[in-house]
Amino acid sequence: MYSAQITRANPTCIILLIDQSGSMADPFSGDSARKKSDFVAEVVNHTLHDLVIRCTKTEEVRNYYHVSVIGYGRTVGSCFSGPLSARHIVPIAEVADYPLQVKSSYKRVSDGAGGWVEIPVRYPVWIHPSSDGKTPMCEALGKVKEILERWLMEHPRGFPPTVLHLTDGESSDGDPNDIGQQIMSLRTDDGAVLLFNCHISTRRSAKIEYPTEEITLADGFARSLFGISSKLPSNFLAAAAQLGVNAVEGSRGFVFNGDPSSIVQFYEIGTSLTGMTPYRWMDAADRTEQA
Amino acid sequence: MSSVKQSAIWDLQLRQLLLTKLGQEASECEDFLAADPQTCRFAVADGATEAFDARSWAERLALRWVQRESTLTLEEFRQWVAAEGRELQDSWNGLKLSWYSEEKARAGSFAAFVGVELDLNFDLPSWKAIALGDACMLHCRRGTLIKGLPLSRSESFNTAPILVASDSSLHESSMTSVVIDSGSCESGDVLLLMSDAVASWYLQRLENGSAENLFDSKCDEELKRFFDDERLAGRIRNDDLAIIRIEIRERSIS
Repeated sequence: MYSAQITRANPTCIILLIDQSGSMADPFSGDSARKKSDFVAEVVNHTLHDLVIRCTKTEEVRNYYHVSVIGYGRTVGSCFSGPLSARHIVPIAEVADYPLQVKSSYKRVSDGAGGWVEIPVRYPVWIHPSSDGKTPMCEALGKVKEILERWLMEHPRGFPPTVLHLTDGESSDGDPNDIGQQIMSLRTDDGAVLLFNCHISTRRSAKIEYPTEEITLADGFARSLFGISSKLPSNFLAAAAQLGVNAVEGSRGFVFNGDPSSIVQFYEIGTSLTGMTPYRWMDAADRTEQA
Repeated sequence: MSSVKQSAIWDLQLRQLLLTKLGQEASECEDFLAADPQTCRFAVADGATEAFDARSWAERLALRWVQRESTLTLEEFRQWVAAEGRELQDSWNGLKLSWYSEEKARAGSFAAFVGVELDLNFDLPSWKAIALGDACMLHCRRGTLIKGLPLSRSESFNTAPILVASDSSLHESSMTSVVIDSGSCESGDVLLLMSDAVASWYLQRLENGSAENLFDSKCDEELKRFFDDERLAGRIRNDDLAIIRIEIRERSIS
């Protein structure tokens, strides 16, 4: 299980499900200058960038991944706009070709002789921050299930789809357990769909990352999300280890009360697939935005 | 198979096999092998799948290394790789690239490399080899591993080996992982140069004592079918495969 090679003939599917409710406009605790929605949009854009780069073979992007970015708040639907507008699932080569804009930045790298040089980098943007409305988590997970069912009919073989769900609060339209379980019961011949959940907090609370047992969770909502979080397959555990994250056999793909670094790691581990080396997040401090 | 008279005493019997990953076109193969029986230099290079222009980089490393003399010390290797890397990256100038190709090109290209040079001019033949990454040279005697470099155990392979970078700014750290070694041979000894997927599999067979006679009993077409079946069954990871087999034989005096 979870060992199928990802190829153009047998691509896999990655769904980024993002909470865009009104509370996402609040800052992280201890960082009043940074809205959660801004940070999440930045991480999602970097994740898409890294997926594209991973699939780039010289001058061609190979369709190893089909990608979906679904937001939920005032509405539930695709976060893509421009030429990809309203597309619920997009082959990675098309994602590569249609960012909304490509900004130019600089990245500080070692010059190989003990010093540093700044090199130009491209910084594509596909989604903009959004924060409005309630938290219709069940409806959003229902949309994910609908997308997956359709995709799996055409792709019954190969590495199972991965759903990376990020939220900052409790569902406003009911308990997500049933619909979460339904998603986790979908499968390819290589295993069940992987559903990972990352909860981020405005409050200064102790974070819980990749637990193995529900017993450590005092909060009812945390237990509910834990129940719909898949166990990390071994290749994801290897990626976690490379990032210095303490995840062990039996760990769930689940973070509670996460901070900005938890989000970055959550996306890096969640997109590491089949033991691929996770791409290092480009530290914001190393980047100088160019007008 | 080809037999090349190398000296008054020793013959080399060569077999080479290059197979593309199942489901891909031959033009997409990123493994390369090169052999120059006259200079007794042989090399295998495996372009990193995720790197820019990896096929050209692997081809350049393998083909040009066997045409050279020496390049068997760390300093010579470093200087040679730096020059080849500059030449490769200069060839990208003027290309009109999309944002993602530009990003990829900026990181340069990467490949695993192993090269061996044989000296047959003495009573006891000897070899010198240099390697960086997970393409391997295995020195075998009667189905037993005498020496393997840079890796000699099947469990030593991982998904992030340190590779030969075309960008010399990365050489400071990567070149510390270059492995250089030498050995001497007896008649009947076999040197195998292999890219990672097949090297890992072959080392496992050596560890299990089931590697002997694999190449003797099969013609090239049978060998190709055999490796296709092994990859289809998942016993060998579905990857490009490059193999150079060099058997050293004492010449029979007639």
